[in-house]
Amino acid sequence: MNWTEKYRPRHMYEVVGNEEAKKKIVEWMFKWRNSDKYGILLIGPPGIGKTTFVYALANDLGYHVIELNASDYRTEEKIMERVGFIAYGSTLETFFTGRRKRIMIFFDEVDGIDPKEDRGGLKAIIKIASKKAVPVVASANFIDQVKHKELIDVFEVVEFKRLTPKQIIIILGNIAKKEGLRVSRDDLVEIAKRSYGDARMAINMLYTLSIGGEYLALSNPLENLPLDQLLRRLSSTTNLTEIKYLLDNNSGHWEDVIYTYFDIVSRSKVMKADRREYLLEHLSILDIMLGRMKRERTYFYLRYISSILAWVIYQANKWGAVYDGRIPEYRLYTFVLNKDVREEFDDLMDRLRGRLHESRRKFIYGTVSTASLIYDSYPNLRKWVERIYGGGS
Amino acid sequence: MEYQKIRYGEPFQIRRRLGNLFRDIVRIKGVDYERGRGFIVRDYYALSNLNKILIRMGLLLTPEVKCYICGTYVDCEKCPFTDVCLKDVSICICESCLNDENLVEKYYSTSMRDFIIK
Repeated sequence: MNWTEKYRPRHMYEVVGNEEAKKKIVEWMFKWRNSDKYGILLIGPPGIGKTTFVYALANDLGYHVIELNASDYRTEEKIMERVGFIAYGSTLETFFTGRRKRIMIFFDEVDGIDPKEDRGGLKAIIKIASKKAVPVVASANFIDQVKHKELIDVFEVVEFKRLTPKQIIIILGNIAKKEGLRVSRDDLVEIAKRSYGDARMAINMLYTLSIGGEYLALSNPLENLPLDQLLRRLSSTTNLTEIKYLLDNNSGHWEDVIYTYFDIVSRSKVMKADRREYLLEHLSILDIMLGRMKRERTYFYLRYISSILAWVIYQANKWGAVYDGRIPEYRLYTFVLNKDVREEFDDLMDRLRGRLHESRRKFIYGTVSTASLIYDSYPNLRKWVERIYGGGS
Repeated sequence: MEYQKIRYGEPFQIRRRLGNLFRDIVRIKGVDYERGRGFIVRDYYALSNLNKILIRMGLLLTPEVKCYICGTYVDCEKCPFTDVCLKDVSICICESCLNDENLVEKYYSTSMRDFIIK
């Protein structure tokens, strides 16, 4: 059994870290019906105990948790179909016994719901919470202050922070003790330092250490690489497993990888025509699949796309495809350091677009190449825009 | 550089003549001033913003946080994890508690007291 599951705390007092946040949640649980907020929203990075605490809380206070992951239930229709009846207090048990069972609804990863694209998903959550029939708890890794404003306005927001290295040591020490492991203090300290406050990662590292593995490799330095670095790594290997691993840890860049490989293969001078045709056809299919998956929000296809893409890259590398640092021009605007910077960049572009009264498409394809040059040359441009147009505009 | 220890949520006097900088300091989100008592810093982000001003005068405020288990104060600057810790916490664990054999049990009992579970 996975150690993160095996040693998942069952009681509130067993959850280590975020003491103030936990107190706030417990306080809210005792007054949720009289509170002016509809529900409670937990925000924080993954692996720090948000979900664990919700389940421990429910266990201690005698609630049955109905969990909805926003990756699976995103639209109003689906959410209402799954839990809508609870909000109206019409469970079968209530019907037959007249007693209402203590139920808590937990919406995990609500940041995955897009207010525009996921037809009424957020509204459905707010609607259910507003009935105050059952306590509603939501969690998110990151909340967009603009996109999710309506949720923030009606939910009590509690911030969870990354655990400190000392708190990680407590968790690891406890597991090591229960497992009868002889782990040196130095190893525990090293894991605590390398896990960056992520308890899940720390436990996995300890497990790897216990089976004689090299736990330092688990700190996953290959996650969320900048596009250029990812492409260099991808093109420099002919190991299928490594390619798959790189792709799985950098899923935000797949579209760019497909476009760039399309460009590399079509320009390749060493590759035979039939091989080139074979690869281009597969890359085109992958592009269609990825587009369709995003449009229909059927993310379970990701694993298939990842495998096919890894195979195509593997073949392309074997047949002599070389990445020379060139990103196709039409993808240039995405070629900035990493996802965070790109999001920041997009945000900036949106603000400028508004000022220039242009459509997003026209702005990105028409003006953005100049803007990206300006942005790259002047790193303080964002601060300047904020000063002129206001931070929140 | 002179170091001055402070505790979150507790008033303190800055050991410098502030002059015009006083206005800039009280404008920082998370920094309050109470007449007769002094400045109060609420969290680590407020402290780091305050330090950006004070560093010009050769003064650096360093936080002391309470040990969750025994209640003694821990100096963040002397902590062996100071490089990797995000420090945005107001509760920590002191070295003696961390080296205690019954650390987990002690942590749980403090935690239990927090939630008043009967």
